Amino acid sequence: MQGDPLRAGVVVALWLLLGLFVLYPLACLLIRAFSDDGGFTLGPIVGALGNPTHLRALRNSLVLASLVGILGTAAGFLFAYAAERTDMSRNARRLIDFIILLPLISPPFTTSIGFVFSFGPRGLITHDLLGMQNAQVYGWASTTCAEALTYFPLAFLALRPLIAAIGGDLEEAGFSLGGSRWQVFRTITLPLTMPGLGNAFLLIFAASLADFATPLILAGNNLPVLPTDAYLQITGMFDLKGGAVLSLLLLVPAGLVFFAQRYLVERRSYVTITGKSGGRARGAGATAWLRWVLWAACAAVTLFILYLYALLAYASAVVAFGANATLTLDNYRVIFTEGVPAIKDTLIIALIGMPLGGLYGVIVGYLIARSRGFGRHMIEIVSMINYALPGTIVGIAYLIAFNDQPFALTGTATIIIACYIFRYSPTGIRTTVALLQQVDRSIEEASFSLGASSLRTFRSVTLPLILPAFFAGLGTVFIRAMTAISATIFLVSINWTLITVRILENMTEVALGPAAAFSVFVIVVVLGVTSLLNVALRRMTTLRVSSLGTAS
Amino acid sequence: MSNAPVSIALRRVSAAFRSPEGATVAAVRDVDLAVRPGELLTLLGPSGCGKTTTLRMIAGFQEPSSGEILIGEHDVTRLPANRRDIGFVFQSYALFPHLSVFDNVAYGLRVRRKSAHETRTAVAAVLALVGLGDLERRSPSELSGGQQQRVALARAIVIRPRVLLFDEPLSNLDAKLRVEMRTEIQRLQRRLGITTVYVTHDQEEAMAISDRIAVMNDGRIAQLGSAEELYRRPASSFVAGFLGRANLLPATVRASSGGTVTLDVCGAAIKVASAISHSLGERLSVMIRPERILIGPPGGPLDGEIVSRVYLGEKAEYVVQVGGALLQVIRADPPEGETLAPGARVGITLPRDGVQLLP
Repeated sequence: MQGDPLRAGVVVALWLLLGLFVLYPLACLLIRAFSDDGGFTLGPIVGALGNPTHLRALRNSLVLASLVGILGTAAGFLFAYAAERTDMSRNARRLIDFIILLPLISPPFTTSIGFVFSFGPRGLITHDLLGMQNAQVYGWASTTCAEALTYFPLAFLALRPLIAAIGGDLEEAGFSLGGSRWQVFRTITLPLTMPGLGNAFLLIFAASLADFATPLILAGNNLPVLPTDAYLQITGMFDLKGGAVLSLLLLVPAGLVFFAQRYLVERRSYVTITGKSGGRARGAGATAWLRWVLWAACAAVTLFILYLYALLAYASAVVAFGANATLTLDNYRVIFTEGVPAIKDTLIIALIGMPLGGLYGVIVGYLIARSRGFGRHMIEIVSMINYALPGTIVGIAYLIAFNDQPFALTGTATIIIACYIFRYSPTGIRTTVALLQQVDRSIEEASFSLGASSLRTFRSVTLPLILPAFFAGLGTVFIRAMTAISATIFLVSINWTLITVRILENMTEVALGPAAAFSVFVIVVVLGVTSLLNVALRRMTTLRVSSLGTAS
Repeated sequence: MSNAPVSIALRRVSAAFRSPEGATVAAVRDVDLAVRPGELLTLLGPSGCGKTTTLRMIAGFQEPSSGEILIGEHDVTRLPANRRDIGFVFQSYALFPHLSVFDNVAYGLRVRRKSAHETRTAVAAVLALVGLGDLERRSPSELSGGQQQRVALARAIVIRPRVLLFDEPLSNLDAKLRVEMRTEIQRLQRRLGITTVYVTHDQEEAMAISDRIAVMNDGRIAQLGSAEELYRRPASSFVAGFLGRANLLPATVRASSGGTVTLDVCGAAIKVASAISHSLGERLSVMIRPERILIGPPGGPLDGEIVSRVYLGEKAEYVVQVGGALLQVIRADPPEGETLAPGARVGITLPRDGVQLLP
């Protein structure tokens, strides 16, 4: 209810938090990049743009993101089309869901490590199978492919509901008017999917632009990109200002992509509005031969991903990958002795961040969905900033902002947890908003009419209905806290470190076994916790609630 | 029922909205309405007439921009919905999707801190009353539309509210179920004797269910009365046209004396009672119901030409051109073998006592 003192208090507290953990760091970053002893200056930015190395990094970043965007969108479309338009068996569909899930819950280097094991100097394919000596895995091809494999699930998730909605009635209408399959695909399916394809491309483009882990491992010396450049500037040359300036070069394309994507999503509504598609015509879209082509392509990608993960598991269980294939548990012994501090810190941070992030997402989502006016839009935009910015920018901004008084948080767990909450809660926020938009206001009015107060109505009617969103928020924050690195690599310290940072260290020290073992550990923990969350959610809600739709 | 039925009174109640462009739009204008204790009063009107807004103001979901609302003796104008002791049945049913049928119905009792035993007994009784005794463990999504409607009804009446409010409760049901449910609602309302305000845009539903009907138009009450009063003596062409079908015809005063005027309607002389006297030659407007007009063989005082004929089983509907006017005519139980094709000449007889003078 408007004008509620409780609500006013929540809004004030929220703005204080958003100010401290979103606006203040960003302001610090901008001030650092655009000022020197003499005040405001464009010198550093102009200098960076005039520096051929940095300019090359910017160009590489953009080209790489475009290539990955195209490749990833194509793969995502392929899987989404095959899943929605061919009469796949239920098991095949489950396998696809699992393959899509894997990259989303893995540490960001998993694919890259698999590529090294497969195509490196001692790689299974390059060395053992093809007998090549000193094969070069580093460079454009491997980075592009690894990133495309890591991010194509984003395209799949964005495109699948769209393709499902266009199917059935719309395509059948096309057929009934005498269109051939190809004509219907070209004149109905494709134009209606076009905004979705654009959206998927931009999602992947942004992810690739911000990707730090893959290039760090696979790009090599000849392919500098901005996030790694900024990182090396800070950790290698202790040049905080230089890093800040470089990270800001990322800001322009990232911002453009963010607004282009929002524009597309808002326009796309004319397709998604037909939420209940009359007749879903699975298998109606593809002829027999096309079906086999689709299946073969999906199977190839699926097998390759499974192969990479199998390789990872194998590498974690042998003495030395490529040299000594004796099975051993040594790598796991290493991570459960030397690696314990990192494991403990990561779990503590993830387990504290998870409930806070889940709650934050639900509260912000409620405020956005159930209030009006200018304040609502401001909350919506500001709460998205850290999510939309590349992790490198957020990490460097936090590093600059919280290094000194008045908010000296560097070296604490608080700063890492805050980073995760404000960066990864938008999933919970969006799901809450989406769910509340489906909950008719009359349901809350019914509660009032039966005598319940607004607090009781929120507790016993609204909250249970947005429980799936709360759990979506919990899951996302936990997964990210276990797997993310791009922002928090700037925030770890002697006191608080992270598994992902240890994996990176292992990779640079060529301790491939422990790196693989850590990765397997993370995947197992994330799978375990997300399954537990799913079970808990199912127990706490009736079937009706889950069928309200859990937007991802 | 422990409590005696209460009255509801609206005094010069208005509701204004701010449109997206910033203009103020009046949805309800200066409505005065007195609902008698225990009666079922229907707000009837086309969409946008202000009937739902009026109902929501009685419920407390919306505050009037001016005027006051009384339930019984109490001024509830500023009282929030949860303290008005009402039962509200929504168009969308608004069942809590995460609660079972039992928990939905028990919700209001639990808010009122009734004992578990009392709650169980009351819920079982009310579910039996609406004929859903065996479905209490189901989830709302497992019920048909009609069953959901009954749960919504049970949830509203189980708390024994002083006032029952219905917002187009039957509009999501199919035609047959609609008739069944409205009988059910009327039966329950009579039995419980709770003062009820019912909103609908369906005139047949309103006539079937109501003690009195308030026809609303453009934010105002156009006429208030029983179904028969409204049908036989509509106060305006709007009410005449909205309730049933009506021929609205121009008429000229031929003579006026002692409470009676003689009118020229389509060339026929008709005598109508009128409280005020009219001058000769004055132009007036009259209403004649289609079923009161008789069709016969041509050659009478008033002849016309068939424009169309629709056979509907128990009746036939005609459009007949008489002079410059098009008359709607309804004939109950048309004789077998009647062939009145377009163009056929017929005789028309206007009723002596079925012509209603409109202001």
